[in-house]
Amino acid sequence: MMAAGVQDRNRLATEYLKLLRSLATELEMATHAISHNALAELEESLADQQVLSAKLSVLAGELSGPGEANPSTSPIRVDDRDLRKQILIATDVLQKLNRGYAALLQHSSRSAALMASLLGSFKGQFQEASGPRSKYQTWSCQM
Amino acid sequence: MGGLNTSLSIGMQALDAAQGALDVTSHNIANANTPGYSEEVVQLSANSMTMSRGQVSGGGVTLDGLQGTQNQLINLQIQQQTSLQSSTNTQSASLQQMQTFFTTTGTDVASALTALSSSLVALSASPGSSVTQQSVLASGQNLAQAFNTTANGLTSAQSTADGLVTESVAQINTLTQQIGALNGQVARLTASGQSGGAVEDQLNQSVQQLSQLTGISITQSSDGETITTGSGTPLVMGDQSFSLQTTTGSDGFQQVLDFNGKDITNSIQGGQLGGAIQVRDTTVPGLLSQLNTLASQFANSFNAVQAGGIDSNGNPGQNVFTIPINLADAASGISVAITNPALIAVSSVGSPNSNGNVASLSAVLTTALPSGQTAAMAYASLVFDVGSQAANASTQSTAIGENLLQLTNQLGATSGVNINDETANLIRFQTAYEAGARIVSTIQQLYADTMNMMT
Repeated sequence: MMAAGVQDRNRLATEYLKLLRSLATELEMATHAISHNALAELEESLADQQVLSAKLSVLAGELSGPGEANPSTSPIRVDDRDLRKQILIATDVLQKLNRGYAALLQHSSRSAALMASLLGSFKGQFQEASGPRSKYQTWSCQM
Repeated sequence: MGGLNTSLSIGMQALDAAQGALDVTSHNIANANTPGYSEEVVQLSANSMTMSRGQVSGGGVTLDGLQGTQNQLINLQIQQQTSLQSSTNTQSASLQQMQTFFTTTGTDVASALTALSSSLVALSASPGSSVTQQSVLASGQNLAQAFNTTANGLTSAQSTADGLVTESVAQINTLTQQIGALNGQVARLTASGQSGGAVEDQLNQSVQQLSQLTGISITQSSDGETITTGSGTPLVMGDQSFSLQTTTGSDGFQQVLDFNGKDITNSIQGGQLGGAIQVRDTTVPGLLSQLNTLASQFANSFNAVQAGGIDSNGNPGQNVFTIPINLADAASGISVAITNPALIAVSSVGSPNSNGNVASLSAVLTTALPSGQTAAMAYASLVFDVGSQAANASTQSTAIGENLLQLTNQLGATSGVNINDETANLIRFQTAYEAGARIVSTIQQLYADTMNMMT
């Protein structure tokens, strides 16, 4: 029978794995939203990402604390091997996704700066369309 | 959760799609002030999601193409109103030109009738005077000349309209050829999955120009736009155009024939061509008919009274006015038949210094002609008719112009580029990207923490 401390860490590790996967899903959703110019979905996903990453940071701190089972000898804080393997895989996937997401954001931010500059140079030269605006949007993740 | 390759593939697709969208946005902003430009919208489609071991994996996104935002219904209304306005403008311009022949200049028909009346009053007072007799003769000549000038003016306006028919047909043929070629380009671009936006804008501009020339009906088909005249004569079908032709008709005017050689002149309505045909075949003939009737009836009445009197030589009065046999030429061909003032039938009984017939001659001016109106009243009606038609055309043109302005604004609102919206979205995207970048850093840190935790 496992000690209470070990059970707690495994429970936290399971929660940690779940959050990692959720965050990875959110990154996919955000990429999808950016590509679809779905600004509202992107903003919603960003809010979820912030909550998830905050929770993960807290859990990571808790899991990194001294283990009750054998604190002096084991540097591994999660005792379940299979769970540990899954966390490593999920972290790796999240890391790769994060790199792609970072590249997309960087690229998009550059485009946004470019467009801001373009808008600035055109400022004052436009005849604004009057009347109710259509729902069409043209901004993209590049923006 | 998908594997690494899947994730990278999704990211790459997103980047490609985004690049296309950026191009479109730049294009939209750069063309914000281009007349006839309609905003293009990026068409992205999500690739199907896959389910693996209970985990949903995103399929990424593909840039399918671009779609213009032209509002077809508003475009159609604009084309109809443009066609109507162009027709009204053509008529208005012609009527304004014609109005100048009916204004009081001293040499117009009304002034000439008044002068003739005055000279007859003077002749009544001095029936034996060669001066007063000469004055009546001169007034008669002036009246005939005024009829000639007015008729020639109307005929000249008719000729101008006829010239416009030939010119309009030539312009229509040029445009229908262009539209056919543009239809072909749009079809080819669409078939290859490319944006037809810029070509479609050009196409719309050309169709708009065509609607200025003639009333048209447009239907969309898989081959592009099919354009016919209002009565169904084909002008463009896909990339094929059908030229109109002109030929001189029995009346000496240009008749419009379809590509098969069938005369479609009477069925053409709207646009510059419709307006020109309306002026040439309806407006001017109507006014000329009134003028001819007035000239003919007045001359015949005057000649009849002249014939009932005796001239200064003691002979029965000869015709003062000569009128062509054909009523259609009455106003343009009326002339004074006599050159000797002594031939005016002053007397009713033949005695010297008798003025008995002068009163009867004067009465021709104040008595109703067979048309039911006096000569002055008949002419006043004609002047009113011209003025009224000119005013109506002008008012109609202004009203249509206001409609067009509203429709154009409406089109701008649905198809144009709204910089305010674009700017607002830009700021929101920038804010979102900054938030995303902070999360990226957090995840980087988490990776380090996790690795530290697991080793």
